[in-house]
Amino acid sequence: MDILNQLAGGFAVALTPENLLYVLIGVLVGTIVGMLPGLGPMAAIALMMPIVFSMEPASAMILLAGVYYGAIFGGSTSSILLNAPGVAGTVATSFDGYPMARQGLAGKALAIAAIASFVGGTVGVVGLMIVAPQLARFAIGFGPAEYFALMVLGLTAVASLSGKNLTKGMIAAVFGVMVSLVGIDRQTSILRFSFDLPELYSGIDFLVVALGVFALAEVFRLVRQRQNDDGKSITSLRLNRSELASITPPMTRTSVLGFFTGVLPGAGATIASFLGYAMEKRIAKDGESFGSGNPKGVAAPEAANNAAAVGSFVPLMTLGVPGSGTTALLLGALLVLGVTPGPLLMTERPDVFWGVVASMYVGNLVLLILNLPLIPLFARILRMPKAMLLPLIVVFCVIGVYALSFSVFDLWLLLGFGVIGYGMRVAGFPAAPLILGLILGSLMERAARQALQISGGDWSVFVTKPISATLLGIAAVSVGLTVLSHLRRRRERVLVSS
Amino acid sequence: MRRGMFQITAATAAALTLVCAACSGGTASGSADDDGPWAPTGSIEYIAPAGAGGGWDTLARTSANVLEGSDLIDVRLPVTNMEGGGGSIGWSHVASKESDPHTLFVTSPPIILVPLSGASPHDHTDFTPIARLIADYSVYGVAADSDIQTAEDLFAEIAADPRGFSIGGGSAVGSMDHIAIAGAAGAAGVSAADVNYISFEGGGEALLATVGGHTDAVVTDVASAIPLVASGDVRIVAVSSEERVEALPDVPTLQESGIDFTFDIWRGVMGPAGLTDAQVAYYEQLFADMLELDTWATERDRLGWDDAYMDSAEFGVFLDEQSTQFESILTDIGLSS
Repeated sequence: MDILNQLAGGFAVALTPENLLYVLIGVLVGTIVGMLPGLGPMAAIALMMPIVFSMEPASAMILLAGVYYGAIFGGSTSSILLNAPGVAGTVATSFDGYPMARQGLAGKALAIAAIASFVGGTVGVVGLMIVAPQLARFAIGFGPAEYFALMVLGLTAVASLSGKNLTKGMIAAVFGVMVSLVGIDRQTSILRFSFDLPELYSGIDFLVVALGVFALAEVFRLVRQRQNDDGKSITSLRLNRSELASITPPMTRTSVLGFFTGVLPGAGATIASFLGYAMEKRIAKDGESFGSGNPKGVAAPEAANNAAAVGSFVPLMTLGVPGSGTTALLLGALLVLGVTPGPLLMTERPDVFWGVVASMYVGNLVLLILNLPLIPLFARILRMPKAMLLPLIVVFCVIGVYALSFSVFDLWLLLGFGVIGYGMRVAGFPAAPLILGLILGSLMERAARQALQISGGDWSVFVTKPISATLLGIAAVSVGLTVLSHLRRRRERVLVSS
Repeated sequence: MRRGMFQITAATAAALTLVCAACSGGTASGSADDDGPWAPTGSIEYIAPAGAGGGWDTLARTSANVLEGSDLIDVRLPVTNMEGGGGSIGWSHVASKESDPHTLFVTSPPIILVPLSGASPHDHTDFTPIARLIADYSVYGVAADSDIQTAEDLFAEIAADPRGFSIGGGSAVGSMDHIAIAGAAGAAGVSAADVNYISFEGGGEALLATVGGHTDAVVTDVASAIPLVASGDVRIVAVSSEERVEALPDVPTLQESGIDFTFDIWRGVMGPAGLTDAQVAYYEQLFADMLELDTWATERDRLGWDDAYMDSAEFGVFLDEQSTQFESILTDIGLSS
């Protein structure tokens, strides 16, 4: 077994005391920055750059990779406890994680997130190990037309995220798409919706909107809410056998889905988590309860985003192409360290490739061991009286947004989106489709225009390419099923009332 | 006017300097008259008008580290990231610091391209050129299985069916990669406006689209192209430098291929408007000395840069030339406002 030999070589690199220490530091730093919105893995990695330049390339990557997947792992904590996603990839985790926490199940939700993250991360590493070179070819098959189809498929998740009122969900999604278009359009260099404000030229950061419509809006709601639910008791974090059994199939499926999504440089962890959430909601028999605290709704996005974070190392290491700002920094670090990522990395620098792969097994285990005992501690934060907890969340959001680009303007935007988010809640508009539209809108538009520009304006390119046609087909079936079930439900309602 | 005000406030300034020696206020220049040499009296705010991790940030942090680790300068150069508006947020900040010799920023072609596209109220004439430091170059590539072998082939294909031949790049329309291909096409006798340039999110994605057969060719910078060139997935047919580059010794320049066009992605340092000759001279010398350091050479080679020093006067003339050239290319493309 060639792979086992090479993996053994990798473990020989990853298990030296020095590198074990780096994994430990990496995932610890990652967990912490993941929990704090705004700091994020990108800023942490940028800060660590000067340190790693004097290190062995394998050690440097082990450290930085640990920060990256550690942040995705840790990001779920603030999503679940405070409804304030620390990183974009964990927004979907808040859909069911936060309701669980409100019901006193914070400990359980955090435990599910930790276990699902571990499973997702581990499945991702196995994938990275076995099929990385072949998958690189799979990623190359995705051009603009294929990405457009993938984004369309992602947008069908609006139906799953809309709750009872599909129309309001669609309106929210369209608003999200509009927000995503603010700023300089790369295809024409024309400014859109920027109102001559230089602060808007490069668009509105995802985190500003997410913290506004989720965390801040929730703070407003809790302030308005008269009844006092201070000192909520926190139930055990232990999962019983049947709970574990119920989240195992979703975790497994979304891990695989997440890994493949992560492999595509134009997709990544955030899209993976939404796709995973939407898929499991559709498959689950109790899909109706997604959004109101279903454990599967926590397990699915968490497994998907962690698998995707690992999957994004496939294009990074085997093609030398980063899929996100964070992986672009990792690429930069590799180049500076004299390692050229690309198809030759596995043969030229097996210590780096296999060392990082092996360290990810270790890192995921460390994250699990590190996080499980801390859960009761984190969960205790919810026992704080409301009068202390709410200001804390506000401070948390403000620091997070300000740390993005040290701009006071962004703070006004945050406040604005907080108000919009609160208004949407009052009027019964779901916030999740808005976020989905925001994430996918500009990506989908760009892919569509690139594809049409290449084809000379010929729309058939979306259906003549096999991958694109398949994805669009799945999207059509998905929309069709949703419409059918809505019609059926309406007819049932009519029947019941008559 | 300015001189008069300066004299009136000189006494106050001297007193103030005692109180806030570390401040980077405009009046700190009072420690030297215009004829004598000048040196910074406090830490220098060194601005990268972009987020962490990009080209500007890398240059700012690398040069700050090299300088702080040397005996060339005894004040600190903390790097500040001012992200937003493709640079215009950071430029607005520097523009508000007129005559403040303790503010510098790193710069490259966007200081000309972004204002030309109308997305920044400030352009290069609003700042004092200090020095050009390094340069990077554009490469023109195709997938390994493409029939195109040379730059002549490439531009013949473009000329035969300009709209049907797609060329991906990593920067926005009207920015660096687009200029690099449109300018070359213009020099090769193809209308720049006809070039079907597709903007991708970074050179990596643009390269993959070409390898995957989604686009016909790609234009990007040397460093981005290296991994896929090394693996044999991409063939580079030309480079935009005047002489062949070290990393790709077998690739001819455009000029060797009979296309009279050169393009370099230069990077340098500028300061706010209104710096005195002594202040400019100080920084000019500082950066010239920095380029001689062994520690700089190590960093430069690791990052794949070429030294391309110009002093303040040369850099100023160069910027004006670049501005004229870019404007004419943008007009050819049909983008200039």
